[in-house]
Amino acid sequence: MDSNQESKDGSDRSELVSEDGKNTKSVLCQRCGCKVLCPGMAVFAEKELFLPAMQKKRSLNSTGDSVDGDTLTSHWLVDDMYTFENVGFTKDVGRIKYLICADCEIGPIGWHCLDDKKCFYVALERVNHA
Amino acid sequence: MDPRFDVPRRAAGGSGGSANSSPALGAQSRRRKMPPRPADFKLQIIIIGSRGVGKTSLMERFTDDTFCEACKSTVGVDFKIKTVELRGKKIRLQIWDTAGQERFNSITSAYYRGAKGIVLVYDITKQETFEDLPKWMKMIDKYASEEAELLLVGNKLDCETDRIISRQQGERFASRISGMRFCEASAKDNFNVDEIFLKLVDDILSKVGTDIIRKGLSNDDGTKTQSRFHATLLSVKILCRSGHINSDSVAEL
Repeated sequence: MDSNQESKDGSDRSELVSEDGKNTKSVLCQRCGCKVLCPGMAVFAEKELFLPAMQKKRSLNSTGDSVDGDTLTSHWLVDDMYTFENVGFTKDVGRIKYLICADCEIGPIGWHCLDDKKCFYVALERVNHA
Repeated sequence: MDPRFDVPRRAAGGSGGSANSSPALGAQSRRRKMPPRPADFKLQIIIIGSRGVGKTSLMERFTDDTFCEACKSTVGVDFKIKTVELRGKKIRLQIWDTAGQERFNSITSAYYRGAKGIVLVYDITKQETFEDLPKWMKMIDKYASEEAELLLVGNKLDCETDRIISRQQGERFASRISGMRFCEASAKDNFNVDEIFLKLVDDILSKVGTDIIRKGLSNDDGTKTQSRFHATLLSVKILCRSGHINSDSVAEL
């Protein structure tokens, strides 16, 4: 599945993911640089998740039809919300809470389903690493 | 069944005695080197107050400036995890803003239950938001832990010219409630906002922390104390954790 993306990102990925599958770098907000996760706190996980587009008005206002967004597969996964340095949670959209930057509130940068209390995903493509 | 047990109970006032010596401060100089440090404390803070007093702005302002209307106006922010460092400790705050649920009884008791800190906000330019305070206090009395630290905030200090509630009125209200602190702030100018939260956290730490930490440090002999301190920290963490709204209860909300 999605092997294109794999090979495209493959090289950066090895810089980001340690041997034991953790994030080697800090995870930061792309816009304001707010720290979301410290190094070594999350594990790399692949899961197909749809995230509405960032920076688009009403993009989250999903009335069904055409929600602009991306299906992303590479994520940082943590099992406890208190693992985050800083993060915001939106109100529920169905059974989903989207994760946003705690400072500038840009997002969604991640995904949490109320049915799985131990899974908090942050999309690699929607954050910076440093 | 709720695994939550009561927040750390202190000898209620009683045999006060040597309470002033507060060796907890020594903790700072005893910082250990530790690899990725998750957090020493986890505290839940809620922001309540009547409609339009600026609760949401306070939550945002504590954070930083700029925000994007996109997420906000559509779905809205439910709560935030924020990390602060204080007294050499790393503290995770879970901050709940109750905007949109201002009718007093519409805020679920779950918000109050786990809160270690409650920020009660009114607008210094709006009489009615000040007059609502007793109603909010009733809710606090009913649902919140007695241990919760209370902070009364007169917001919109940037609108000084429209002020209707004097600083003294605010002070007077707060002084009638035991343990309630008072300050004025401006979310718009970002005046006093960080201080609000840090102050509150500091108070919570004093309350939650010192007894336990003091016990741990009571025999003051170097290295032994250090590991003891570590152990006590852990127990503080567990105590704090027991009080917060965890993801389980988020699901209920």
